[in-house]
Amino acid sequence: MLTVMDETKSSVYDVAVIGGGAVGCAVLRELSRYDLKLLLLEREADLAEGISKGNSGVIHAGFNVSAGSLKAKTNAAGLGMIYGLAAELGVPHRKTGKLVVALANADRSRLEELKADGDKNGVQDLEIVDEAAIRRLEPLARGHWALYSPHTGIISPYEFTIALAECAGQNGARVLLEAPVEAVDFRGGLFHLSTPKGTFAARRVVNSAGLFSDEVARLAGIDEYRVFPYRGEYLITDKDCGLRLGLPVYPVPPRDDPGLGIHITPTLEGNIILGPSAEPVDDKRDVSSTRKAMARLKAEAARLMPELSRVSFIRSYAGIRPKLVDASDKDRFGDFIVEESALRPGWINLVGIESPGLTAAPAIAVMVAGMIGAKTDLRPKPEFKPERLRRTRFAALGDGERVGLVARDADWGEMVCRCEHVARAEVVAALRNPFGAKTMDAVKRRTRCGMGRCQGGFCTPRIVEILQDEGMPVDRITKRGGGSRLFYGWLKG
Amino acid sequence: MEANETHDVVVIGGGPAGLAAALGARRAGAGKVLLVERDRTLGGILNQCVHDGFGLFLYNETISGPEYAERLIEDVVREPIKVETGTMVLDLGPDRVLRINSRAGYRLVRAGAVVLAMGCRERTREMIEIPGTRPAGVFTAGSAQNLVNLQNLRIGNAAVVLGSGDIGLIMARRLTFEGVAVKGVFEIMPWASGLERNVRQCLLDFGIPLELRSTVVEIRGRDRVESVVVAKVDDALGPVAGTESVIPCDTLLLSVGLIPENELSKRAGVALSPFTGGAVVDQTLMTSVPGIFSCGNVLHIHDVADWASYEGFAAGESAARYAAGEKAAGGTVRVSAGPNVKYVLPQVLTAGSAGVEWSFRTMRPLRNVQVVVKGKTTGKVYARKKFGRLLPSELQKIKVRPAVEEDLEVSCHE
Amino acid sequence: MNDRPALDRLTCVLCPVGCELEIRKDEAGELDVQGNQCDKGVPFAVEEILHPKRNLATSVPVRGTAATMVSVRLSGPVPREMIFPILAEIARLRPESPVRRGQVLIADVLGTGVDVIATRTVES
Repeated sequence: MLTVMDETKSSVYDVAVIGGGAVGCAVLRELSRYDLKLLLLEREADLAEGISKGNSGVIHAGFNVSAGSLKAKTNAAGLGMIYGLAAELGVPHRKTGKLVVALANADRSRLEELKADGDKNGVQDLEIVDEAAIRRLEPLARGHWALYSPHTGIISPYEFTIALAECAGQNGARVLLEAPVEAVDFRGGLFHLSTPKGTFAARRVVNSAGLFSDEVARLAGIDEYRVFPYRGEYLITDKDCGLRLGLPVYPVPPRDDPGLGIHITPTLEGNIILGPSAEPVDDKRDVSSTRKAMARLKAEAARLMPELSRVSFIRSYAGIRPKLVDASDKDRFGDFIVEESALRPGWINLVGIESPGLTAAPAIAVMVAGMIGAKTDLRPKPEFKPERLRRTRFAALGDGERVGLVARDADWGEMVCRCEHVARAEVVAALRNPFGAKTMDAVKRRTRCGMGRCQGGFCTPRIVEILQDEGMPVDRITKRGGGSRLFYGWLKG
Repeated sequence: MEANETHDVVVIGGGPAGLAAALGARRAGAGKVLLVERDRTLGGILNQCVHDGFGLFLYNETISGPEYAERLIEDVVREPIKVETGTMVLDLGPDRVLRINSRAGYRLVRAGAVVLAMGCRERTREMIEIPGTRPAGVFTAGSAQNLVNLQNLRIGNAAVVLGSGDIGLIMARRLTFEGVAVKGVFEIMPWASGLERNVRQCLLDFGIPLELRSTVVEIRGRDRVESVVVAKVDDALGPVAGTESVIPCDTLLLSVGLIPENELSKRAGVALSPFTGGAVVDQTLMTSVPGIFSCGNVLHIHDVADWASYEGFAAGESAARYAAGEKAAGGTVRVSAGPNVKYVLPQVLTAGSAGVEWSFRTMRPLRNVQVVVKGKTTGKVYARKKFGRLLPSELQKIKVRPAVEEDLEVSCHE
Repeated sequence: MNDRPALDRLTCVLCPVGCELEIRKDEAGELDVQGNQCDKGVPFAVEEILHPKRNLATSVPVRGTAATMVSVRLSGPVPREMIFPILAEIARLRPESPVRRGQVLIADVLGTGVDVIATRTVES
């Protein structure tokens, strides 16, 4: 067995990516096309634990961003890639289209402005539509006028992130969880990244640490950035809430909202997401829900889609967005930063990648590969496989397939989650993921166990048993790693 | 895919109601009865209810949940009832075709009649929208009961219980037994939602405070619960500013209500009542879908398991008769809940039916109550019963002896 | 009619009817119980005031297993102050499988005259 020290000496990575969000994983997957020794370091116990899990899951067409900006450029390029990429990786997604609705006649001019921005950004097929067309496109939507964007879509952001990493992993990249970079040392032409899991040497570093990208840059002596955390709270309905929303419905972006305004988005499973609020917070990890924001979300929903007032929500959640602009500095546009440090050549900073970062991620990844390729010869690996080993979802199968599956492996016959119809085989496969993410949330994000209306009431005791069957001691079972333990050992030992 | 396996009666759920329903079906002459239970063992929630207080009506003595379950199970296994555990019904159609999955295989089954006995699930933190962080250490009381009683797990060291439902009260005592400090039980309503004997025996006995008109307004702690903030509520149940206090704890148990688990019922097109969360049934416990019957906690939330079993026997008998070809009469007379009444069961009756025993619950605690069943057209009094005291936590019964011919209303008058 | 202030108000817990009992002292100093709907109410209230008794229930793992649990209770109620001493006795219990429902796991626990019994059958 290699000790940590041995490993440090014996292995120098060509590129180390810091941060396992959508962007970091997209970079890792893009680089895994080439003959490079790759490492991704993630501070949390699973991928997609930061910005990438707490958002609307919308594939943006690109009309909400300033023309000519990097946001606009990477959004447009990313849009051109993401549908194909999601298909390649077997990540559920759907091109739904999207409506930005003007509830007041006077807001029509704002729609025209949005369309003009979109046209400038090269967004295809934007159209201003009237009330009748709105009703036809989405019977639940209200509005006198709307901007209709046919190429907008939805995707599960964490499934996408995990799939990117798994694909990279299958192509030889190494992913380490619970490995926050605590110190950076530059010597001998190498970056030495210290983590609790050991110190790793790399020729190049891609800092994709999201909310913490400013702090990680500072570890490398680059004191140029400041990330302002903005919390966005969401509410999500039961998928059987009685309402079927076909596409995301956004309001005209309010001038006082640093985001796109509180909007309504379907998930692929049929839930409806309401949010986000947008509020500056002090703590980059403070994903609390607040009474105030929940009330605001509901008030806004009542305006945008009165039917939502009658349904109950099964969960609230929040995400933090990394803004480069302080709350007091309303006029400045915070563009994505994708640049190699002049101070530390070989160190590439990706900072302020907020919305539309999910859509832009594949394009940012190609940019990063280009920046590395400009300095070194990138040799494509002939054995690179762009696909990923797909997960089978019991709930999505027909009768015939189910009969065959259970006959082959009885674990498909044991249901663990009653709400989302998840079989034991899926939970076991999730726990045997290539990166060793074995938290309750890791199972949840890979299988949907606990995402249903009972919120884990039924499956938690069952998953706890399966975790033990997989060799996990009870006092190491956590919700999401760190100190989030579920139990304090046996009652009677 | 076609169902090429048929049964006279299929009972979904092997808890106190489902076990009784299977027995009831046999008693009424059903030949082929299939009892499907998703857990590895029969008994349902009874298995984790190790406390006593069960069986007072059915067995005329007070025993624990597991004992109550085993007694019913012994009766079931003596009968030629096909029992399948570790088996989940994933779909039920209005044509009574069930999609069933187990380690033994996935298959389609056709039933002459179906008895729904799936029980209930617990309301979650999210349904009552408690603000704050989302750490580990927040459990519904029933999940905690499973983890403690059946899995031997220490779920925490210092707990706060939100909601005074019976499982919450019982878990407050159970955790006290295991050396967990229970800091208090907080109930948003002005009265306890669990049974009075549980308030006395589970809380007062151990000096655990019960704070009424109070709730948890915030959960704190990033990884594991570190504290909760509690506050008094006003008449609109909103928190009163300035009454907040922080209670350090590592565990929050929620006992904030149960919801009949009617996902399969919905798939079959069964009409549900907004007041019970369960099916609308007639005096035979048949739902709006012919041949589909409902009983136990999936029909409405019971206070005592025995009543769920009695309902199970009745539903099983009705199902057997339906499967044997006895024509369903169908409900034409509507029964509604009048002043002070939360709900009444059955909600519909066949015109001319007589001697039906109804279940009802009150909206709030009442004293010296007269319960009246009145015809909505004629004003005729069909039944009248006096109670010294009625509590919303208790399910009550009233028998309507005369044949009914008109829509009825049940009301409570102090 | 006894109109002295109530010593205690309690809910009879013998059955789920839960009669609200009011206990007062009469002129002779004897306990007077009101509110009971059946005959069991009076002795219950007197005992509840003078010598409250309780049953208790918990579960213990079968010997050699981490979490194959046998639920247990007492064959009858014991004085309330005996609850924790008896729980400490039960906590040491590791019954061998098979266990039968009703099987006595500790006879006459702590001299109370009451047994600790299994309430669940565990096959070997």
